[in-house]
Amino acid sequence: MPKRKLDPLPSAAFQILLSLADEDRHGYGIMRKVEEQSGGRVRLGPGTLYSSVQTLLDEKLIEELDPSAGDDSRRRTYRLTASGRRLARSEAERLADLLRIARARRIFRGDYV
Amino acid sequence: MSEKIYALLLRLYPAQFRKRYGEEALQLLRDRLRDEAGFPARLRLWLDMVADLAISVPREHRALRSALAPAAPALRADGMPSFRVLEEEPPRPATLMVAGLLSAAGLVAFFVLINIAGARFVSRAAQQQAPPATTAPARPAALTAEATSGGGNPADAATAAAGKPGNPRAGSSDQSVSIAALDPAERHRVVTAVADDLSQFYFDREKGQQAAGVVLRQERLGADRAATTGSLLATLLTGQIRGATDDLHLIVEYSAPALPKQPGTALSPDGLARYRALMHETHCTIEKVAVLPGNVGYIKLNSFPEPAVCEPQIRQAMGSIDNTAAVIFDLRDNRGGDPAMTALIAAYLFPKPVYWYNPRGATAAESWLSSPVSGSRLTNKPVYILTSVLTLSGAEQFSYDLKMLHRATLVGETTGGAAHAGVFHRIDDHFGIGIPEVRVVNPYSRHDWEVVGVTPDVRVQPAQALVTAQRLAQAARNGAHTASAQR
Repeated sequence: MPKRKLDPLPSAAFQILLSLADEDRHGYGIMRKVEEQSGGRVRLGPGTLYSSVQTLLDEKLIEELDPSAGDDSRRRTYRLTASGRRLARSEAERLADLLRIARARRIFRGDYV
Repeated sequence: MSEKIYALLLRLYPAQFRKRYGEEALQLLRDRLRDEAGFPARLRLWLDMVADLAISVPREHRALRSALAPAAPALRADGMPSFRVLEEEPPRPATLMVAGLLSAAGLVAFFVLINIAGARFVSRAAQQQAPPATTAPARPAALTAEATSGGGNPADAATAAAGKPGNPRAGSSDQSVSIAALDPAERHRVVTAVADDLSQFYFDREKGQQAAGVVLRQERLGADRAATTGSLLATLLTGQIRGATDDLHLIVEYSAPALPKQPGTALSPDGLARYRALMHETHCTIEKVAVLPGNVGYIKLNSFPEPAVCEPQIRQAMGSIDNTAAVIFDLRDNRGGDPAMTALIAAYLFPKPVYWYNPRGATAAESWLSSPVSGSRLTNKPVYILTSVLTLSGAEQFSYDLKMLHRATLVGETTGGAAHAGVFHRIDDHFGIGIPEVRVVNPYSRHDWEVVGVTPDVRVQPAQALVTAQRLAQAARNGAHTASAQR
């Protein structure tokens, strides 16, 4: 499969990287985790989910585990790679920078975060 | 149930994607169906699915295409023909069959449309060209008349100019309005005769034979079938032979009244006597000779009569304006005549011989003006020619040549556009073909005034032409005076 643009990193791809930060998951697991970590705002449909997964696999930001893991052979499990973790971290830092600027511009009501 | 629907919807994705993730996507749906029960949850689930499809299906297809784009130049670089595989699966037999049927249907539809639209186009084009022949019968009749006389018989022009119905064809040409149906045998005879005459008489043998071939081939292809009347056929054939030769002087003519049996080039003794009488009566069609205010010479000439008959009268008229400061030739009602007379008059205007272009092809000696004319004092005087749409043939030659030689200023309308350089060949009672038999090189441009006319230098209504020319002559004289006064 061809190289797809991950710059800027789409929010779905970033969510997937984050969802795999603590443990390896299969597709449905990723979907559930994303839903949970976004407070229910982001529910990835299969099309969006798997096209993002494909892109991340192409870029070697995540990898597919051998199906020998045992349980269901139809469910493939994905794991975050070292470069995926680096990318997620730099993206988070970029967002944190933006957040600092936003705060300096007093965008937020009150004084939180 | 829901699963089956989704499995069908999955087919919207590219095959590659479906093959790789289809099963997983279905599994994900199953998991969600299991976990999310109850109407609101199910509704939300399906909304998610539809939104997801709407977003990701186009994206997957786009990604597939953009992936192929950069690969293409690399494939072509070595010059080998290559195929790009969009889908990894081979097409299924059913797909191939549907595609085959669609292609066949498309081809059939294409040919049917071409046949219908083509036939309609041909007949419409023929109809569009027809009106000039029917609404303005005078012109084609005049063309036929002049072309028949071949060498530029001044009698017809003169009689027309004298306002007498001396030309029976011009008088009865209204009959061509009634459309006579054309039977296929007659059509075939005309087409064959046109082809024969072309290959036999056209000055460029090779081109003539090519054009004949085109005409015969078009007939075999049935292109002539749209021509249901004589004038339509003449128009169609004229278009064909002009297209093949790029020569505007070729023309197939149709005349509803029967054409004369013997289109002689010389006048019969009887005709000559009548011509002499007419010229005597009309003073050689010199309507007026005068010296207008401001010492401007004015000649209204309504034809260019034969020198053999009218040379003394014309020379006398030219002599009577020899002392003027400018000359106006009024050719607004001049329908043409003898090219020799145009040369005779033009000779007065030049101090030395110049080439006098005649599209009908005079001999080499006649192609040069016999300038200077002894005693002529007009060689350096401004010349104005008054033109109208009725200025035709020889009068157009006079105007065109003097314009091209920068010797006259044309005032009035664009002229009628009748060069008819061809020699007329009779095909039968109603058809004839005009064919240039000698090659005459126009020194000024590729086309002369045939059909397009001669454009004036100063465009005014014919009624205003004389006043305008007088004003121009006056202005030119004042300019010359000022110039000499300054010197």
